[in-house]
Formats: sequence, C-alpha cells, structure tokens
Amino acid sequence: MTRELLGLLGVDPGRLELQWVSSAEGARFAEIVTTFTNRIIELGKSSLGVAA
Amino acid sequence: MNIAESVKLHRTYSCLDCGVCTGSCPVSRVLPTFSPRLIVEKALLELGDELLQDKDLWACLTCGRCFERCPTNINFPEFMRDLREQAAKRGLAPTLTHHGMLQTVMEFQAQGAKQKKTDWARQAGKIAATGDVFFFVGCMPYFNVIFRDLGVDSLSIGRNVIKILNAAGIEPVVSDEEACCGHDMLWNGNPEMFKKLAAKNLELIRSSGAKKVVFSCPEGYYTFKNHYPQYFGDLGFEVVHFYDYLEKMIADGALKLANGAKSYTYHDPCRLGRMAKIYDSPRSILKTLAGGEFKEMERNRENAVCCGTTGWANCSSCSRQIQVERLKEAKATGSQILVTACPKCQIHLSCALENLDMKMEIKDLTTLITESMAAPLA
Repeated sequence: MTRELLGLLGVDPGRLELQWVSSAEGARFAEIVTTFTNRIIELGKSSLGVAA
Repeated sequence: MNIAESVKLHRTYSCLDCGVCTGSCPVSRVLPTFSPRLIVEKALLELGDELLQDKDLWACLTCGRCFERCPTNINFPEFMRDLREQAAKRGLAPTLTHHGMLQTVMEFQAQGAKQKKTDWARQAGKIAATGDVFFFVGCMPYFNVIFRDLGVDSLSIGRNVIKILNAAGIEPVVSDEEACCGHDMLWNGNPEMFKKLAAKNLELIRSSGAKKVVFSCPEGYYTFKNHYPQYFGDLGFEVVHFYDYLEKMIADGALKLANGAKSYTYHDPCRLGRMAKIYDSPRSILKTLAGGEFKEMERNRENAVCCGTTGWANCSSCSRQIQVERLKEAKATGSQILVTACPKCQIHLSCALENLDMKMEIKDLTTLITESMAAPLA
C-alpha cells in the first residue's frame, strides 16, 4: 500500500525497501543496506527535495 | 488571534445559553460530556487554558447542525476552527486516523511532490490538458488505495464524473499536479498548510485557463467556494458543484437518464447540505432515476446527521454509534440502496456496515447515474 501511495506521489517505488533481518544475520543486514544505498545513489535526488 | 478575538469575530457573546446547540449535537447524544454550549460558555468566562487543553475540542464533527438551529446564528463550527488553530499553536493535535497516512500525503503535496495520479482518468474517458472546464478530482486516487479493503472503490466517483461529462460532450481538464484542497488541514488547526496547498491549486487552475471548476467532492467544493476567497480574494474562475451542473445539463437535454429500478434513500453530506446549501440538485437527479421510489430518511436536509467523523481524525466509538444509527435509519425507510454524495461518507458508512448484520447497499450518486446512462432509455 505504501509503495502504491508513493507511486501516486511521484516517488520512485525503488526508494522503498522492506526486509526482515534477524539479529543473527549481520552479513545479510550489511548486504541489504549496501545494495539499497547503492540503488538510492543511482536514483539520485528525490523529486521531493530535502525532507523538512 | 486569541480567544477573546474569536469570541468577538464570531459574536459568540450573543449566546442565549439556550442549549439548542448541545441538544442538536450528534456527539453530545453519545458523549454526554461533550457540549457546544459549555465550550461557548468557557470561552465567555475566559477559561482559555482549560478550553484549549480540552480533548473535547477535537471531538466536534464541525457538522454544523448546531449552527443551523442556533437562534442567534453563532457559527459554532467556524468558532471551533479558530479554537483549534490556537490549540494547535500550543502543540495540541487531534488523534489522526489511518496512522496519519492521509496527512502525510498532504504534507508531501505541500512540499511539491511531482504526482502521477491520473492514469485512471485517461482509462475512464477523454480528458484534456487545457480547456474551459476543470474537474477537481480531490483525494480520491489516494482513498482508492487506502480504502480498497473496505470494498469501496473511491475512484469510481471520478471515473463516473468523466464518463458523464464526456456523454454530455465535455472533455474536462484533469491534472497530476492537483493537490488536496486543504479542507482537513484547515479544520484541524493548520491554516498554514492549507494556504500552501490552496496556493498550489490556484496557480494550477489559473494556468490551465479554466473558467469553470467542477467538483464532485463536497469538501473540495465548499472549501473553494467559502474558504479560498476568504484567504485569497477573487479566484478568477467559477466554482460549480457537479450535481448543480448535471441538473442543468439534464434540464437542457444535454444528458438523458433512464429510470432506475430500485428504491433509494439519500444521505446529505454536511459540507454539501448544511454548509453549501445544496439539497435539491442531488434529490432532483435521484428522483429522475428512482421512478418514484425515492424515500427520505427521518433526519434529512438541514437535520441530516454527519457520517460520524471528519478530517481523518478522531474516529471513535462515538463515530461508530452515529454511523450505526444512521444506517438503521436508512434501513427503516425500506430502501434497498443508501445513496451517498461524498467519498468520505461512503467510506465511513461502508466501514460501519461491514461490521453490521444488515442487508443494504451503499452507492455513490454518480454510480447510479452512470448505471442509468448505460441502461436503454425509457
């Protein structure tokens, strides 16, 4: 639902990621955050500008 | 503004202490502690702090039933709006419903989100980028996502309006850039956010060259008709409600409708009825459809009761009780369909109906109109 609402607001759905990571999965956590960060850098500045 | 100034502006000092307001209030019926009369009295006794800290300040539906009956014509809803503005400045706020999702959407819009929300309109019919008639859709694309689970397709209203306008030979302007009209922000004590949203809309409509802006949403219509000029002066375009517009199109023969086959009753939205005084055009359209099977509820027109909550805030057990009573009242008319004319009324009453053992269909008036256009002409 959030993804769909963001779409209407003109925000790239790729800017939203939801994952479950257990406390025992440090490596997986790092991997997810790195991938997501790289994706955001690739997408560049959001149309919303800097959050107020 | 402070409380003394609000009292002066709304002539609250002319209160006769008669209690008609509290006697008319749908919230007071359920929550005996809530009393418009007491709120007015506290303001007159200069009990400002007590008044602004009171949770009851946010329980008011601003439905205007009290104002309608007040013998000295005190505009309690507007007075309430003023008090909320002052309370909000002290950091007080209502309890937002639906996790504040809708307010977040409004904030994004005010911040200048480049929205993409008109795909449905192009699928529904012919729309234009510029032209004389602008269709102000309102928040329905967002409602559609959030309230789909209730079985309410809010966007059907928008699709229907476009289909009906197209059938009458009109291709309205529908825009991605349209923001919320600001109604909810205004009534929940945030006029600054309202002004941001309103300024965006005014700029958009003016740049589209539209002479006429058509609204199907009662809140949008009333806000543009009443509050936009208050804050921005002359708008430079005409503000028309869809049902007034449609009534005229039917009278002129631009649109032909067949008779409906079922029995209907009609729920007046507060903003459309008591506030904008539009009681007749939806009824006249409904009577064309209903073939004599239109029945009024006991509390109708000026006496109609609110759908239970407003501004996406403070939905409580009180709201639920008001809704259930309203549904029972509709059922008592013996009608098969309860007709609504506001996307919020439709959502709220459908939500209450879902948890009720009652056979009743809730339909927006635009849906009935579109269905009767598709039927062979009588």
